This record gives sequence, structure tokens and C-alpha cells, in this order.
Amino acid sequence: MRRKIVRNIAIVSAIFMVTFSIMLITNYFQVKGVNPLQVEVIETLKQINDENANNVELQEQIRQLDLLARQAYFVRMDHLMTGVYILVAMLVVFIVSLHLYFSGEKDIPGKDIDPIDDWTVKTLARKYVNWVAGVLVIAALVFVVLTSPYLKMEKTDNQTEPLADATQPESYGDNEYETLPVEQEDSVAVITLAENNTEADKTVAEAEIKKEEEEEIPKVTHNGFRGNNSNAISTAKSIPTEWNLKTGANIVWANKILRQGFNSPVINGNKVFISGADEEARELYCYNLKTGELLWTVSANNIPGSPAQMPKTTQDTGLAASTVATNGKQVCAIFASGDLICSDTDGKRLWAKNLGIPANHYGYASSLLTFGNSLIVQYDNSNSPKVVALDMATGKELWNKNRTDKITWSSPIIAYVNKKPQLVLMGNPSITAYNPNNGEQYWRVEGLSGEVASSPCSAADIVFGASEYAALIAVDANTGELLWETNDFLPEVSSPVATKDNVYLATSYGVLACYDTKSGELRKSYELDTEFYSSPVITEGKLYIFSNSGKVYIYAANSDFGLVNSFETGEKTFATPAFTDGRIVVRTENSIYCVASKS
Amino acid sequence: MKKLLSLLILILFSVTIQAQRFPKPDFDSGYQYPAFSYVVPNETLWLTIDIILLVVLMSIVAWAVIKKRVRKPVFYVSIISVAYFGFFRSGCVCSIGAIQNVSLSLVDNSYSMPFAVLLFFILPIIFALLFGRVFCAGVCPLGALQELVNIKNYRLSKSLAAVLGIIPWIYLLFTILFAVTRSTFLICRFDPFIGIFRLGGDIGLIVFGVLLLIAAIFTGRPFCRFICPYGALLSLFSRVSIWKASITPQCINCELCHNACPVDAIITPYENKVKETRLQGVKRILLYLIFLPVMVIIGGLILQLMSTSLSRVNKDVRLYDMVIQNEKEPRDILPLDLEAFYGQGGTIEEITGRVQKIQSEFKTYSSVTGALIGLVIGFTLIGLSVKRTRKNYEINDAKCVNCAKCFSYCPQNKINRL
Repeated sequence: MRRKIVRNIAIVSAIFMVTFSIMLITNYFQVKGVNPLQVEVIETLKQINDENANNVELQEQIRQLDLLARQAYFVRMDHLMTGVYILVAMLVVFIVSLHLYFSGEKDIPGKDIDPIDDWTVKTLARKYVNWVAGVLVIAALVFVVLTSPYLKMEKTDNQTEPLADATQPESYGDNEYETLPVEQEDSVAVITLAENNTEADKTVAEAEIKKEEEEEIPKVTHNGFRGNNSNAISTAKSIPTEWNLKTGANIVWANKILRQGFNSPVINGNKVFISGADEEARELYCYNLKTGELLWTVSANNIPGSPAQMPKTTQDTGLAASTVATNGKQVCAIFASGDLICSDTDGKRLWAKNLGIPANHYGYASSLLTFGNSLIVQYDNSNSPKVVALDMATGKELWNKNRTDKITWSSPIIAYVNKKPQLVLMGNPSITAYNPNNGEQYWRVEGLSGEVASSPCSAADIVFGASEYAALIAVDANTGELLWETNDFLPEVSSPVATKDNVYLATSYGVLACYDTKSGELRKSYELDTEFYSSPVITEGKLYIFSNSGKVYIYAANSDFGLVNSFETGEKTFATPAFTDGRIVVRTENSIYCVASKS
Repeated sequence: MKKLLSLLILILFSVTIQAQRFPKPDFDSGYQYPAFSYVVPNETLWLTIDIILLVVLMSIVAWAVIKKRVRKPVFYVSIISVAYFGFFRSGCVCSIGAIQNVSLSLVDNSYSMPFAVLLFFILPIIFALLFGRVFCAGVCPLGALQELVNIKNYRLSKSLAAVLGIIPWIYLLFTILFAVTRSTFLICRFDPFIGIFRLGGDIGLIVFGVLLLIAAIFTGRPFCRFICPYGALLSLFSRVSIWKASITPQCINCELCHNACPVDAIITPYENKVKETRLQGVKRILLYLIFLPVMVIIGGLILQLMSTSLSRVNKDVRLYDMVIQNEKEPRDILPLDLEAFYGQGGTIEEITGRVQKIQSEFKTYSSVTGALIGLVIGFTLIGLSVKRTRKNYEINDAKCVNCAKCFSYCPQNKINRL
């Protein structure tokens, strides 16, 4: 009788455990998919709140919903945990009842279920192992095929194949693509597939392919002055090492610039951004990277606080010396008048404000920098030097930090130190690092003097900065300790660039120098009888730099620092070129052009 | 019954000491976050106690199994181990998980492995070289817990067990792969018993642990035999151990020890009367030996092809995929990972560089892993092709976990002890 009871208890607890396990697992997967921090309704309300920050009722509603979402989540988690406790308790009941049930016979060992013949067992086991190995190999191969990127490409190829077959024109002029009416493309492409023979259809299909090629978006961006983080290192690949503006060799397009400016081009996706300004207008321009077509212009006008008369600037600075910056969603530009504008990448002006006319005897020249969705503005001037972070989408001030340094023309950079970002600014007399999220100062090292126009650079947790008539200094960005300083050759306008082993700089009296990053020892220098205002950029292990006269110098970015190539372009160049995969965009004194290998 | 009572006391004890470590957030008081204060525990003292206890318990098992040939001390060691290493120390540090730390420290100079973890890894191996798998006997809380809940020992087909025996090796190799690529600590992430020891954690894993315990009631140590990667590693060393558990010298071939063994580690006497000729057997082994390099190459190639998919276990690669996807089709609401990425000024270039490095590492290590899987399967097949005449019962030293259950059944052993 007792045995029967414990047996029944064991059965009931077993059924309970199985049922409960299924319920718990189901509930577990339901709860796992819930993220109380990102409930869709709340996120939508937050977005509405971002657009209209003064709606107190809405904010209260968001708080209430947020509270509810969190409460619901934790209540469910609590229920799950209670379920687990019950399951464990039932397991204990199950074990106890089984113990009692088998108490009389538990010491009797079980019997072998296999055949006596050891060899038969081994033969069977070999068969199973072979089968399992075969199944594993097949499953792995199926998995490889299903996850292969070629499979996806193949699908795309299948879709385009009929178009490609239908398009074997004898000869095409470039104009044929350009004159094709866009609205006809889709319908005509369908006819091409069906009839597959007329010349017009071939043209349309070819134009489709060209359009697809144009829409191919380069992954490598160049979001500000000297690229992303303003550190002058680009990951762009397949960069040409020779081109000729006169013959058009490797030149994809070239346009006259609309208004003057010493700022450098910026690339994001298929768009190139620059700015230009004169007494009449201050404008932000967007060009198509593939075709050079001017896509849109945004004017910095009707801005409250903007001066009626432009501040005086010197000829070699101008009103648009600051390079624009983008985060891929918004693009912002600043001018010597203190006017700051921001638009989306389709040319819709989002916001504009005047930061106050900067007291600057040459003209404001610091470039903008993006850090995620923040726009960093180094606003050093004679009156109230400061650094400001603004929300790129709204223009709302995120933080603001007054600075004690004297006026500079240098631009900020982001240095990744121990994988954490530091906002590094040059000044007179110091290099200072801040937390880019809140402006908190990390460290400050003095060692610069005079008119600081060159920007800092960083590599392997060391920050380098230089100013003419002062020194090139290296700072351990982890501790803010000065590692070394030297003053053999110093830049005036051009900014240095560093790799793990070497730091390179270009002077306004034509010297290109390479220093050891560890000791500051001069490794090599070239006296080139020219002037450098443009800054060197390193990509694919090569250092590219333009002299003011427009001569390109390409050196190996290693300790040998050997010349790879050098040639004249024939156009004065002061800006720093922008790089993306296979392309360079260069701004000269009067034009902007794109270089790409045509082979 | 004594075993059962001990287990119950253990569980009750652990429930009472496992108070909620952090107070649950009280949302009704208007987001009043308490000030955080962290008390640094005296972890060095506890780790020292851990190491001392580990050595003492393994020594007791070695003495009981090899010198005294008795089961009782092993049983008490199991209780102490489950209570201390399991419930009290929450199953961490454990020797099984230490595989990952050791693997990572071998390839990454910047990773500093605590000395205690190294000892947890190396001491059971040293003991295995000297006395066999005494760690598995009852010192490992995972094995001990399964041992304590075991009631009936229903047998599994040996041929099926031979196939399942490959799983721990594959698990071990993947564990090392993901550890050396700094992707994840697989063992810690999927430890089925940690949730039971801590009475909290991932519910899915706790349910899995409960299911394993249910299986352990009816068959000996399913986790140790068919999942545990450290058991696979120890089995290599226990094969060549100096002092081993052995069958009673005055064996009367009563078969009781063989039937009592929960892990099927006692091999029966066998007269080689196979109808197959010796030449056929030799040919088969030669064929497998010739085919072994092919299996190694195929394994290496397949896993190399899978390396890109495998690399998605790494959080940076997953983040990269999210970033690329978001760049193609920007979302209105960013997931938290992307919010953090963009918020910290992350760039595609920076993450692309990182991911390329990770994927290149994965390519190399996946090839090695695949090759080793091929090797494991090849050796298993060769092992299953060897036939040998045995006149007496023998212990399979690789499988034997030194639980000493066989001694308590052996009539000759009882006579000797009298």
C-alpha cells in the first residue's frame, strides 16, 4: 500500500514537472523577448517629446508608461523564478518518492542491455559513429551553403542577368545615360525583359545598371577635417597613386567651386560636402561622389544674431576656413561670422544659430567634429574661449566648457585611449583632453606657445601636438604625462599624423619629417623647397600630402619613409583631401575634383 | 535514506543562506535610486580555503578508492563538495570553467589569469595523472550532485554511448575556440547546474539542469559522460595514471561490479571469437589510419568555411552586423547596443578593423578546431576497431570516475576487509 502511494506521488510529481517545464520554457522565451527599456510606444512618445520638449503632460505620461513597463517585466521575472522554485521542489518530491519506491531493490544492480558479444557492440558503434559523422558533415555543408554570401549574390545576379544579356550596345556615349528620362526607366526595363531586342531598351537597361552602380554606397566615410575623429588615418582601399588634371587620367569629375573657402571636403556615402563663403553669402554644398553633380545648397541666412557685416578676415583664412562635419544623418557647417547651420543629408535645413562673432584677428578656422550624434565646436577666441557640444539633430546644447587657453585656429580630435574616447584640443599654452560625453577634463599638459593652428593627432594611447616656434610634444593620454618634446621641425598650419611607430609632420617651409613616437628621435626628413598648409593623411600604409603649389607627395608610412610617387597637379591646394574606397576628393583653390582609378 | 536526508538538509540550508543579494527596485517611491556601495569581499581567503579543500577532498578520494577500496568516504566527500563548492561557493571557481581561462591566457598576453584558477585547472589533472579521475568521483560538485540523486542505474546501449561520448570532445574544442577568440566563455554561459546552486539565474538553463538531474536519477552521471569537456580532458590523463582503481585481485567473475558501475567503465572478459579474419581487422584499421588525415582535412576545411558564421558569437561581430544593417536601413528606434555604439562616437571604420581581425582569428582557430574534431572521430573509429582477448574484468581507466560503487558490491572486497 505504502509503495503504491509513493509510486503515485512520483507519477503525479513527474507529470507536474513535465507540464511545468513546458510552461516555464514557453514563458521564458516570451519574457526573454521583452526589453522594458525599449518599449515601442514609449520610444515613439520620447521622439515626440524630443521635438516638443516643453510638454510636461507628455513627459509625465512617458514616466508612467516606463514605470508600468518595468513593473510588468519584473513581475513576470518574479513569477518565472517562483516557477523555478516550485519545479525544484517538485524534483525533490520526485526523488524522495522514487527513493522510497525503490528502497527495497535499489541495491540490485541493473543488467546489461547489450549483446554479450563485445565485437557486435563495437561494429554497431562504428556504424553509428560513421552515420553521425556523415550527418554532421552534410549538416555543416548545408549550413555553409545557406549562410554563404555568394548565395545572396547569386540571387541578385539572377535578377540582373536578363538585363545584362539584353544590353550589348555597339557603342554608347556618356550623354545617352544622362538624357534618359528617369520616369520611363521602370516600365521600359520590363519591356526589355520581354522583347529583348530594341536599341532603346538596351540603353534603358544599361542606364539601370549604371544607376545601380551609382547607388552602390562606399562603406568608408570621411566625416570631418582629416577624416573620422579628425585623426588623419583612413581605412579606404584601392586608392590611386597617380592622376593628371590636364589629361584627365584617373579624374572622374571636376567642378568649379561656387564660393571661396579653405575648408576640406568631407565624404559620407555617395555624398561630398564642402562649404564656401564671401561677403554675399555663406553656403553649405553637397555633391554626388560618383558624378560630381551639385545635389543641393543650404544657405546660412536668416539666423538670429548673425552680423549684418562680415568680420574682417585675412586672405589666407577667409570666411569659410572651417571644415564641415557629418554623422551620416546630419551635416553641419560653421563660418567666421559665428553662424552655425545644420541640415539633413538631403539638404533640408534643420537648425541654425549664431554662436557670437568670434574675436579673431585672422578669422575663425577651427573645424567641426562629430562624436556620435554630438557636434563638437572648439570656439577659442580672444574674448571667451570655450568648447561646446550640440545635438546635431536639434542644435540643443549638450554641454559647454569654458577654456583658459588663448585664441587658437586648431581643430579638435577624438583620440581612442585604452578603447575609450577622449576629446583632445590644442591651445596656447596647453593640450587638453576632455570626456566627449560631458566635457569633464581628463588631463592638461602645457608646452605650446604662439599662434597654434596645427591640430593634434594620436596613436597607441599617445597624443601628439605641435606649434611653430614651440615644440612637438608627446603626451601619454592615459596619465597626461609629458613623454618627450622636440623642436627640429615644426608645423605652422599643417597638422601631424601618427602611426604606432612614427609621427609625421609637414612645415610651411617645405620640410617633411618623420619622428619616432617612443623617443621623439628624428628618423628622417626631406627638404622639398615648397610650402605645406594641407595636412598629411595615411591610408593603405601610404602618406598623401599636397603642397600649396598643388604637388602631390606620396610616401611609405613606415620608418623608411621612402617616396612612392610625386607629381604636379597644377592647381594650388591648401585643403586636406578626403578618402573613401577607390576615391580621393580634392579641393583646390578654385575647384573640387574626384580621383578614381579608371582601370 | 541517509543520502536523501543529507541532500534535503543541503537544499534547505542553501535556500536559507541565499538571501536576495540586491534589493528589488521599488518603483512606487518615484525612482529613488539608492547610493551604491561595494564592499570588497575577502576573496583571497576564500580562494585559499577552496584550494586547500580541493586538495584535501581529492586526497581523501584517492586514499579511499586506491588504498582502502571503500565507497563511504567518497559519498561524504560528495556531500561536502555539493554543499561547499556548489551551494556555498555558488559553483565558481570551477575546474571545468577554468579550461577557458587557461586557453585564453595561452593566446592573450594581456589577459591575466588568477593563480587560483590555474590551480583549479591543474590540480585535478595532476591528481588524474597520479590516481585517475578522483576529482570526478565526488569533488566536482556537478558530478557529486548527479551521484547523490541517482537511484536506479538503467543502462544505455554501449554503441549509443560510444557515439554520445564524442560530444564532450566537440564541446571542449568549441569552448577553446570561443575562449581564444575572446568571444564567450561557453561553459560558464551554459552551465546547467549553476542556476540550481545559486537558486537563480537563467531560467532556461535551470530547467535544463533539472531535466539533467531527472535523467541522473535513472542513469549514472549523464552530464559527466556525455557533456562535460573537463571530463574528456581528464580521461586523457587518467589512462596513464600511476596508481589506479583496480578489480579485486581475487575476482570470482560474479559480474556484480560490472553491473553496478554507473558509467560503464568495467569491461567484461571477452574471448576473441570473431568470425572476421585477423587480416580483415588489420585492413580495417589501416583503412581508418589512411583515412584519418582526410578526416582531419575535411573537418578543418568545413569549419574554416563556417568560421564567418561562428564569428557571430563574438559581440563585436554581432554589433558590426547591426551597424551595417542600420547603415543600410536606418531604424527609427535604435536598439541599446547601437545607441551605445553611436553614443560613444563609434565609427564603421574602427569596428570594421576590429571585426576583420576577429574574423581572421576565427578562420585560423576554426580550421584547427575542425581538424581536431576530425581527429577525435578518427581515433574513436580506430578505437572501436581494435579487438582484444580479456580473461578477467578490467577497468576502463579513461571512463572510470573513481566513484567506488563497484567496491561496495564486490563480495571478495568485503571478505578482504573483514
